[in-house]
Amino acid sequence: MSGRFKVGDRVLVKRDAPGGNPRTPRYARGKRGRVTAIHGVMDNPLDHRGRYPPLYTVAFDARDVFEGAGDGTLCVDIHEDWLEEAE
Amino acid sequence: MSDDHHASGSHMHDIEAHVRAVEEDLEYYRAKRLEPRIFFLARRGIVTLYDIIESGAEVKEPTVRPGGSLEERVRALEDALDEYVRSIGLVTFDLVKVDVVIEDTRKERGDYDDFFRIAKKHREGSLEERVGALERDIATYMRLLRAFTQAHFAKGLLDAGEVARRREQLAKPGVSHGPRIVARAWVDPDFKERLITRGRETVRELGIPPGRLGKLGVVENTDAVHNVVVCTLCSCYPHDLLGDTPWWYKHDSYKTRIIVDPRATLKEMFGLEIAREREIRVHDSTSDVRWMVIPRRPAGTQGMSEEQLAGLVTRDSLIGAGEPREP
Repeated sequence: MSGRFKVGDRVLVKRDAPGGNPRTPRYARGKRGRVTAIHGVMDNPLDHRGRYPPLYTVAFDARDVFEGAGDGTLCVDIHEDWLEEAE
Repeated sequence: MSDDHHASGSHMHDIEAHVRAVEEDLEYYRAKRLEPRIFFLARRGIVTLYDIIESGAEVKEPTVRPGGSLEERVRALEDALDEYVRSIGLVTFDLVKVDVVIEDTRKERGDYDDFFRIAKKHREGSLEERVGALERDIATYMRLLRAFTQAHFAKGLLDAGEVARRREQLAKPGVSHGPRIVARAWVDPDFKERLITRGRETVRELGIPPGRLGKLGVVENTDAVHNVVVCTLCSCYPHDLLGDTPWWYKHDSYKTRIIVDPRATLKEMFGLEIAREREIRVHDSTSDVRWMVIPRRPAGTQGMSEEQLAGLVTRDSLIGAGEPREP
């Protein structure tokens, strides 16, 4: 169950994850956020082909995501293969 | 937004809203649920277009266009739509010999790549003309669906007994356990805590089957934070617990706007004004974690029973697109 990240970690969403599942929304790609919840490996055979790596909720400041236009916080659930540590 | 567009018996006060809801749902189910499935199976030679044509010969003509007042015709359309949606549920159910997961369907229908999107039809003209167009379209959509279903039987892909059992199950309207869950959370802080941390397992305490559609994510509205839920890529929602989503939940006008400017979207689409000092958190659902909102308990509800409290909880308030009713 345990993954690379913990709650509070700053993460950067990759722009592209060729081997990863396609589910990461486009607006979050290449953006920085903060891990707010850890869901672990989700067993979801009805939906997924195979097992995906651990899942996290990542919170983004909407203004970062939409370059100043957004409002509030966006909480997006993203699998680990899409995430790396942010400086 | 209408919270109960399928409510029967009462008089329709906004026929246009009913017609729009039928148009949106009909195109959604055709372009997102049925036709991607047809393409998926056709590409793999499992059910070919020729199988469908052949089976189509056996399909009886659907019911003739109903007469009556505009309101009666719109009600007939709503019933026909319900039948269309239920029947799609039967053919998109697990096939006997074909390995298909929902992720495949999402690819096929263009959730991840606009290239694959199937165009939705827009109906113009007067209300009367739109209703006429819907009556014709729903009949032809239904013919394709029936032929497609028949082709499954002809190819031995669906088990007739299983389909009958499933039809019975689907005929029951989607029940929302949301109001009962929220009312309990309002009166019992320990339950609320367990619900937020453990999700689905907790609803067993109310005698509600926890379902199996991913993890249930629960967020609570407070004086500091307003939560609202969307699924930008498709339309994920804990519908096994909370019942069907309203049509706008699946519509791009909601999905694209709510993430960028939730404050304006809530105000313009739902008449819901969120005070400037409250932070808005938008939760983008996936099939892994499906989110629900615990709305704020309305003022002046002290002493109300749990059952009375449940009566205040609306479908929109479980998504964060509305507040519960005032007592």
